[in-house]
Amino acid sequence: MAGAGGGGCPAGGNDLQWCFSQVKGAIDEDVAEADIISTVEFNYSGDLLATGDKGGRVVIFQREQENKSRPHSRGEYNVYSTFQSHEPEFDYLKSLEIEEKINKIRWLPQQNAAHFLLSTNDDLRINLWHLEITDRSFNIVDIKPANMEELTEVITAAEFHPRQCNVFVYSSSKGTVRLCDMRSSALCDRHSKFFEEPEDPSSRSFFSEIISSISDVKFSHSGRYMMTRDYLSVKVWDLNMESRPVETHQVHEYLRSKLCSLYENDCIFDKFECCWNGSDSAIMTGSYNNFFRMFDRNTRRDVTLEASRENSKPRASLKPRKVCTGGKRKKDEISVDSLDFNKKILHTAWHPAENIIAVAATNNLYIFQDRIN
Amino acid sequence: MEVQKEAQRIMTLSVWKMYHSRMQRGGLRLHRSLQLSLVMRSARELYLSAKVEAHEPGAPLPPARSPDPRLHPREAEAAAEAAPLDGEQSSPEPMDTQEAPRAEEPPARCAPRPAKVSRKRRSSSLSDGGDAGLVPSKKARLEEGEEGASSELRDRLQPPAQAEGAFPNLARVLQRRFSGLLNCSPAAPPTAPPACEAKPVCRPADSMLNVLVRAVVAF
Repeated sequence: MAGAGGGGCPAGGNDLQWCFSQVKGAIDEDVAEADIISTVEFNYSGDLLATGDKGGRVVIFQREQENKSRPHSRGEYNVYSTFQSHEPEFDYLKSLEIEEKINKIRWLPQQNAAHFLLSTNDDLRINLWHLEITDRSFNIVDIKPANMEELTEVITAAEFHPRQCNVFVYSSSKGTVRLCDMRSSALCDRHSKFFEEPEDPSSRSFFSEIISSISDVKFSHSGRYMMTRDYLSVKVWDLNMESRPVETHQVHEYLRSKLCSLYENDCIFDKFECCWNGSDSAIMTGSYNNFFRMFDRNTRRDVTLEASRENSKPRASLKPRKVCTGGKRKKDEISVDSLDFNKKILHTAWHPAENIIAVAATNNLYIFQDRIN
Repeated sequence: MEVQKEAQRIMTLSVWKMYHSRMQRGGLRLHRSLQLSLVMRSARELYLSAKVEAHEPGAPLPPARSPDPRLHPREAEAAAEAAPLDGEQSSPEPMDTQEAPRAEEPPARCAPRPAKVSRKRRSSSLSDGGDAGLVPSKKARLEEGEEGASSELRDRLQPPAQAEGAFPNLARVLQRRFSGLLNCSPAAPPTAPPACEAKPVCRPADSMLNVLVRAVVAF
């Protein structure tokens, strides 16, 4: 798909003002586990938006045609289809319940000739499926050691290169990314490239290994860069340079001194995702307290916004939020200790061509768009 | 020492989490279990380093990163066993696995329980005849007990194959690794490095590690 974004405006600069557009989901304080959104994805044109939840349901929203009587308003997303995709199952051999939670939704590209998809539900293997052959697949990566006592890392995410169908990457719990070329061998246990940033010894703690685990990896639309998300930061890598990222953006560095508490309440294991805008000029990822962060790669500016019902009036502008990290708290700032760690934004999506974003906040889906000047 | 206490607390917390993770839907998660074991390892290394330093200030500390228990499990466990971990002595109270932390119990409650200062300190070897009389069933339980009362515990220690979950090897590895930390088995391998043959130290029974023992065995 084309990489140029329709808006092309800096994400955090003065040119762009994010406004509330819609919110989907119940307002109940008591959220049922099944209703928690577990994935959000725009299709390749941006006309369809899909969410999956922990209850195994998929909801697809379709963008309405623009309203002629209100030419300045963008088309809204309304429910197009909803279905139960997965049901809970039970593995009798292992006495294990298999969750029905939707882990990922990926739309099939319409123009692309490739008919394959990667599945990485297994921590130790990556399989390649032909869409027309459902009873078997190719195993292309297998990192399971002969002796499980020697296990040191697992696979955490994988993605195909957007332009080179033979290339894919997979990330690990050790904070590394391996790029593999399926033309080189059938089993891609040996990588073509290995991306790892040396650890900073001064910041070592009990939890260094956990927070370096990569929770998401995404190629840029251009295919020149990839982005990785670990617990505290987002890193942009140039595929031509393996030794270190070209950009590192701190998402919530103020949590570094709170890692012990976050370990106690299990928040340290949260897996945040990240996404690019259509032109690859900006990146977005979620945080706690229903905050989400955008980083403009050109202007180097960043902004923190909040998805909340309080700011849910149509076309209401989102005010940038700020976390007070020490010293005197200014008005409108929020202190680290006041953050609500139960309100986390793990899944976000950016329209492929326009400045429209979808942000999943527990069981609600917020849609924001930029104000048309 | 603060560092030692913190390391101990984190070890306890990690074991609790490991146990709790078996109860969740979908069973044990490999990634989560691995992360927990990494934290436990870091905490244990720090705990041991701090302990050695506290008793022998100025003496060379064992290297913080070695031995890697995953590569050399025997050496790591020997090092752990030889270190004066007082809490590994069995508590004389019955090891009731039903008391293992339940799902709804917040981790904070697994933090320090009141130390039972009246308890006699146990020797480091369970094969000591004097002590065996005080905690006979404890040893039996830990070593594939014969008593009927311990059969349930035995089942938990060596669960039937079909109930082991997705990662039976991982469960056994972790159990072995951390039982090694807490047991001072008389069958310690002779290859224990001399630096780790620290002098036994008189300390009140460590209630934190008693909790740890229960939790590991329950797991």
